[in-house]
Amino acid sequence: MLPESRIHIALRTSAGRVAAVEVRSTRMVEAAGRFAGRRPDEVLAILPLVFSLCGTAQALAAVAAVEDAAGIVPSRPQIAARRLLLLAETVSEHGLGIARDWPALVGEAADLGGAKTLKTAMAAIRPALYPAGDWAVPGGGGLVPDRFRVQDALADAGAALVAMTGFRLCHAIDDSEAFAAVLAHPSTAPARLLAGLGEDAGFGAQPFEPMPAGGPADLNARLAADADGGFLARPDMGGRVPETGPLARQAMLPPVAALLARHGTGVLPRLAARLADAASALREMATLVQDLAETPPSPIRPAQGSGLGVVEAARGLLAHRIELEDGLVSRYQILAPTEWNFHPGGALARGLAGAIADDRLEARARLLVHALDPCVACTVAVD
Amino acid sequence: MCMAVPSRIVAIDGAVATVEAFGQTRQCSLMLLGEEAAVGDYVILGAGGTFAAEKVPEEAALAALDYLAEVLESGRA
Repeated sequence: MLPESRIHIALRTSAGRVAAVEVRSTRMVEAAGRFAGRRPDEVLAILPLVFSLCGTAQALAAVAAVEDAAGIVPSRPQIAARRLLLLAETVSEHGLGIARDWPALVGEAADLGGAKTLKTAMAAIRPALYPAGDWAVPGGGGLVPDRFRVQDALADAGAALVAMTGFRLCHAIDDSEAFAAVLAHPSTAPARLLAGLGEDAGFGAQPFEPMPAGGPADLNARLAADADGGFLARPDMGGRVPETGPLARQAMLPPVAALLARHGTGVLPRLAARLADAASALREMATLVQDLAETPPSPIRPAQGSGLGVVEAARGLLAHRIELEDGLVSRYQILAPTEWNFHPGGALARGLAGAIADDRLEARARLLVHALDPCVACTVAVD
Repeated sequence: MCMAVPSRIVAIDGAVATVEAFGQTRQCSLMLLGEEAAVGDYVILGAGGTFAAEKVPEEAALAALDYLAEVLESGRA
């Protein structure tokens, strides 16, 4: 078998409602434990290759963890450059979902051309910042920013996102009336998906429990104490399971806030938050360009002890924790956003519990899964 | 975690490649790949393994496969 994994959602119904939500995951949440015995730079080389959806976020979380252990504080230009790389991946991932997966939900053809344009534009950012390819290096690699190439890539990506969705970036970020106006006359498959949700717009709504920025305050201690891997598989924050990702990040943006007020944490506000997250990422990237400056690679400094690295990946909070002994990794833990959102007590399960069990339940549940965007394939079955 | 397996292209038919990893072959689209790919190249596949997301150097792919083999053998999969 291949070391890829799935999530299975089984809905048990009783008296016309969903009585129980069973979430089974074959995700290898302890696979990172196999990094023990390797050098940190080996781990940093492997990470982007075995986590294809969020390879950049994984590598940057790892770099942050090593820096935390070594007491390295990266320079402002390095922080800006890494943030650009992280956001580029977020834009690519959301773009791929919007262009490839959303049209299928309304029976339309995927816009692979749009997805490719966006992905190619975002892929151009990395060589425009770190021409030697040393972007995932503790302290920072050789940063030689080509601002014009970065700005061109941002312009291409912005144009692609507008073409594939019909929303101008400012509509998605700042203007709830303009957002509603696009939904009133949708001209693209993604806009038709959002506009045509009808009663499903609020499906899955539940009390909103967003993850605090930076994650739970005791995250490092909880990971350190997690001897049996129970926390990695089913994390919690003081017994609660907050959600992480675009809605938690962007709930304050006017179009998202307006939809949240009207529909609660249902499907429509979640999908809109993903669109807003992509648009907002492109806008932030444009502001980061001014912080870039040519910076030589950092000298290698040995790391000892333990360190925690936390980044906001496309799908939410991603945490890496490393322990080092004699220059080698002695313990490695990765906690990914899907472990929060697809937790048996998490946002998906809470949203499905008590749902009306009619003949559209399975389709609605799939919509909610898409809206919460797991990082692995996910099947839904109604019993 | 969204683990993926770097896979070697063993055949290409138009925009569809047959790729191999751990003795299993499967087909994936090359439509989203930003660069030319040829038989023998290693690619990372996106979620579900339906399309190639990125081409990777052979040495790096082999190091990743070595790690993934360890994960599989460890029984923690």
